Amino acid sequence: MNISLPHAGIVLLIGPSNSGKSTLLQTKIDQGEIKQSEVISSDAFRLLVNDEEFMEWRDLSKGEVLYAKELYQRVSQEAFAMMDALIETRCRLNKLSIIDATNLHPDDRKRYVDIARKHHLPITAILLDTEESVLLNRDEARKHPRGKRRVRQQYQTFKREKHFVKKEGYKAVYTINTTKEIHVHRHSNPLEIDIGQGIDVIGDIHGCFEEMIALLEKLGYVKNEQHFYVHPEGRRFLSLGDIMSRGPMSLETMLFFCRHVKEGLAYMIDSNHGWKIARWLDKRKVTLSHGDERVKEELDLFEVQNGKEQTEEIKNDLKEFLLKAPSHYVLTRNGSPVLVCTHAGIKDEFIGRQSPAVQDFCRYGDTDGLDEKGKPVRKDWFTGHKQQTLIVWGHDPKPRPLVINNTINIDQGVVFGGKLTAFRYPEKEYVSVQAKKDYAGVLDNPLTEWEKARLNPPNIGAFLNGYSVLTKELGEVQVAESIVKPAIDAVSHVTVPIEQLVYIPPTMSPTPDTSAEAGFLEHPAEAFRYYRDHGITKMIAEKKHMGSRAVLLLFKDCESSKKHIGINSLGVIYTRSGRRFFSREQETELLAKLCADLTKGGYFNNYETDFVLMDAEIMPWNLKAKELISSQYAHVAENAVLDRTALVEKLGISHGNQGQVQDWLREYEQKLENAHTFKQVFQKYCWDVQTMDDIQIAPFHILAHSGKTFFDQPHIWHMEMNRLLAGMSDYFIETDYKVITSEDDEKEVIKWWEEMTKDGHEGIVIKPEFFVAHGKGKLIQPAIKVRGQKYLHIIYGMDYLEPQNLERLKKRNTGKKQKMALKEFALGIEGIERFVNKESIERIHGCTLAVLALESDPVIDPRL
Amino acid sequence: MQLTIRAVGEKAQVLSHLLAKNPNNVYERKQKGHLVRFFYRLFKEKEVEATIFVTPDPIELSNSRSNPYDITHYINDREFAVSSIFCSFIRNALGTALNGQPKEEYAEWVHHPFDLHVEFGPIVSSLSDKQMHELFDPLGFSVDITYGETDYKAKLKDRSTARFLSIRGIKTLRDTLRQLFILIPVMDNYKHYYIDEKEIEKLERYGKGWLEDHPMREYIYRQSLRFKDLYSMIENKEAVKEAVKQEKKVRLNDLRYEKIINLVKQVKPKTVVDFGSGEGKLAVRLGFLPGVEEILAVEPSESASLQAIRRFEKVQEKIGFVQPTSMWGSLFYYDERLKGKDVIILCEVIEHIDEHRLPKAVEMILHEYRPNTFIVTTPNREYNEVYDMNEALRHTDHRFEWTRPEFEYWCKERNKDQAYELRFDGAGEEHEQHGFPTQICVFTRKGAGI
Repeated sequence: MNISLPHAGIVLLIGPSNSGKSTLLQTKIDQGEIKQSEVISSDAFRLLVNDEEFMEWRDLSKGEVLYAKELYQRVSQEAFAMMDALIETRCRLNKLSIIDATNLHPDDRKRYVDIARKHHLPITAILLDTEESVLLNRDEARKHPRGKRRVRQQYQTFKREKHFVKKEGYKAVYTINTTKEIHVHRHSNPLEIDIGQGIDVIGDIHGCFEEMIALLEKLGYVKNEQHFYVHPEGRRFLSLGDIMSRGPMSLETMLFFCRHVKEGLAYMIDSNHGWKIARWLDKRKVTLSHGDERVKEELDLFEVQNGKEQTEEIKNDLKEFLLKAPSHYVLTRNGSPVLVCTHAGIKDEFIGRQSPAVQDFCRYGDTDGLDEKGKPVRKDWFTGHKQQTLIVWGHDPKPRPLVINNTINIDQGVVFGGKLTAFRYPEKEYVSVQAKKDYAGVLDNPLTEWEKARLNPPNIGAFLNGYSVLTKELGEVQVAESIVKPAIDAVSHVTVPIEQLVYIPPTMSPTPDTSAEAGFLEHPAEAFRYYRDHGITKMIAEKKHMGSRAVLLLFKDCESSKKHIGINSLGVIYTRSGRRFFSREQETELLAKLCADLTKGGYFNNYETDFVLMDAEIMPWNLKAKELISSQYAHVAENAVLDRTALVEKLGISHGNQGQVQDWLREYEQKLENAHTFKQVFQKYCWDVQTMDDIQIAPFHILAHSGKTFFDQPHIWHMEMNRLLAGMSDYFIETDYKVITSEDDEKEVIKWWEEMTKDGHEGIVIKPEFFVAHGKGKLIQPAIKVRGQKYLHIIYGMDYLEPQNLERLKKRNTGKKQKMALKEFALGIEGIERFVNKESIERIHGCTLAVLALESDPVIDPRL
Repeated sequence: MQLTIRAVGEKAQVLSHLLAKNPNNVYERKQKGHLVRFFYRLFKEKEVEATIFVTPDPIELSNSRSNPYDITHYINDREFAVSSIFCSFIRNALGTALNGQPKEEYAEWVHHPFDLHVEFGPIVSSLSDKQMHELFDPLGFSVDITYGETDYKAKLKDRSTARFLSIRGIKTLRDTLRQLFILIPVMDNYKHYYIDEKEIEKLERYGKGWLEDHPMREYIYRQSLRFKDLYSMIENKEAVKEAVKQEKKVRLNDLRYEKIINLVKQVKPKTVVDFGSGEGKLAVRLGFLPGVEEILAVEPSESASLQAIRRFEKVQEKIGFVQPTSMWGSLFYYDERLKGKDVIILCEVIEHIDEHRLPKAVEMILHEYRPNTFIVTTPNREYNEVYDMNEALRHTDHRFEWTRPEFEYWCKERNKDQAYELRFDGAGEEHEQHGFPTQICVFTRKGAGI
């Protein structure tokens, strides 16, 4: 007799004492068919909790028997509690547990049926139907016989109960009479597929057969002689369900999948429409709507053309096929799950399991009642996804693949005139085919609705109590409630509108270590060392401009801005704190000029983009910082010069020419020079601005164009773009840079840095070759600033170079600053990726608000 | 920070005894890491000149001050300006002279007026030159003021904010020093320590014999005893003007609240949202409206919200008062908690928002939150004429103020789909020609059934 055991769940042995349960299991353990650890025996647990293998009460007096029975019950209760806890644990871990106990009472069995159901795992029953005489004989031969009375009693119970077992909800029930000819067959998880040569996951097809064939061909599948689409590399394709309804060729598509799945060339999972059609084909009572009626129309037509017999045949095939479709698939590589494919959603605890509850969730997702129009209100099931496994899903049409919380939605609404998208795994690439037309023709086209909703104000509930952003580069970045609120306040009062606030530049760390050289606080050598220590061999050194950091979002025309961010303007220029850089009048003037220059230079046309987003420095410094310069730097300089000039004069004369006073004089002559240096340094970055033409803009990162980011580009590319822009508009200036690949290059850069900083230039920024760089698998600083010796007077104070000051200042720690820089960098990239992917304002805002929040937290020495 | 004392004339050399400083030595002491230094420049029979100065440790100085997360903390005038810090540094060195307790045999010279010439600075002060004269002239000094250099390449400022003072008079050394110890902190823009009773005692001790009769006595007192707050005479004068304006404003505020309460009362709401509730003044009044069951006071500013909560708590015990719920919220975010309320009020809120950001926010209120009644108030620019305000706006944070036609046009633009009935109204004293100081629009949702 063959017994088939599921990959996980519960196997319940049912039979009286001496029916051969333990013996059967031991044999199978010995034969290596089951594991010792899979067997959970009640006797073993009684021993574990009570130290006694057996409790004897045959020779006891009446009173003693009562006591012994009571004790036995207590021990049993405790033993079963322990045992059940173990079984539950094994269920949670997707393991198989074989329960070796009599399980004669319906309550006991129900408990295990419930546990299995709770964990969405199958439960199988194996009844050991052994003759009473055999039971009695075996009992007598035992070391601790149970006694004739008990054995008979149990046998009677078994005889009565075995008829009910079939209806108790087991996946399978086996009845065995003899232990001799049992063959155990172990199943692997039917939901698991090895990725083999690769899998192409395809979104909702909805009867768009032609687009599907076009997509398969684009993916490299070739039609063979038997009319199967096969991939030369042995790849297979997997449909996320909803292959039918709404669209023009549901029948063709269903038959196509039915054949390919049977042949092992393709997979298809269950879905809401699939399930509806399956039940309809199964002659159950369903209402065909939401495009399902088109499937019936196609089948009716088929019947007219091909007759009833053939129609019934294919109907039957399709019914079997659809009813059997699994709720989801878990793709594995070397036995480990790597990708989960589901139609509408899945909970982490459902992954790899199948039950009516799991099937329902996978078909419909997390729904929360119906809205005013009678449509189900969809809840964001993916927010609950915490496991590392990537989940790909469909069901909910969006204009573009949506990567969210380690899940990817690839339903691009082909039937609504969108696209049919495939996700190539393990390559993680998208391949799409545009729909030939909007087949569904519904009024509330979900793609149009989605575009409309994209610009809706963000939901405050998503941020208010603190939140986290899942970034591609740094994983989850937490934003605490205490720092979110001031940031929301700022966004409500002083920043540019949320739609325009797509990016806040990250803070930048200075050299992680202070200079080893005497007389220097910062030096390029430490920046080089940082990158070399992290395995970076090619770097770039860019001259650092001293002005005010700005983000420029420039559109080619007002319509483009309206399309992308819903605001009718040519763009926006804002500071690191999200405030408008210029007055609105100045901004309008500047944007018009920049737009005209770029258009004339062919920028938007050549790069086929509606906009350009860039990081830049705008000079002069006093343009934005005049108040700070005047009330802080100039004010301090005037006081210092006045104080020290007077003292130098006073110290020039002393009663009796005392040596000590001479020392003081020399000290103050130096201090006066420091004050003059200080006064010169900050003036270097200031000049009078009469008209807008007096300003300079140095763009140093081209962050994004329509549908594209440039984080994969080396900085040399960004610098070349910078030169190109400088050639197109007089507002843009070039940035000098040097590429470093050798020690000689480093020496040259040091020389360059020394020369430029000697007359007060701020310094340089050292960056790794590429925009995003990793060292030992970890994200490393995207840039390190090395400020000049002179410049630092306005940061650390005019006397910072005095040995007793410098020595103390060299003890600075940049750890927090570096961490902050990485977080803000990752958030910035994430936000821009979301922006170019046309994700909702809320999703973009989550990133920018996080940077504003981090910046509002005063935990970092502002001199760094 | 420095102070030079010069005496000319007979017996000038007695100064060294009054100062208790040997002319043949220099003096140098460390005070909390800072160096206090004293030396004689000249020591002639009829001319003595001594300078005392402090060489501060800038790092020590910045460590001892609060707010280390602001860059201005590290670059500031405190290591140069004469101030209360300077006075406390040099107090020990000049103790004998300040207290007028030289050796017995020189005691009589404590009261001897010398021809004294004192230079000190730099001074960082919001006082005008004239006001400085007003401080020193009554004490018998002539005053000379030198300014720092502002020879910048770019036009950064018109005049230096650093000054050096030189005063001269026939004065005793003790009085001169005592007067400086009081007047230097008075002139300085900052004060480095907290005011306690000692400070009053110091004023009494150092001010004995001159401060009582000083014409600027009151000002000197107030400046000396100020606690963080910076009063200046200029601001003081302005305060009177401000107070008049303030009074007007308070009255208008009350009238406006009264008007809104009346408007709200008419629609008999259960739920009311006060958007941009600030310190909760309107919300607390709404709490007394009969029939109202819930008031949401929405505000994105933390400090204002805290004040509102305190205000609500004060009256929570009163009978019939429904305590408003303070909520963190903003016009620019969607907040499902505000959906389907009876009344939403924007009282003097919109003019604080950049005009171009408003339509989307209001659209969300009208079409997502869908209140039965939506009340908007904003200043009527035409009425500013009554206030004689010319082109000025009523508040520095106002981004705009509208005339009645402008407001009306704007409101109608928000109701293009005709989902609401609009009614225009006003609050405050109506002017025949210019209308109400505050203009109001009441949006009533059609079919809401009031």
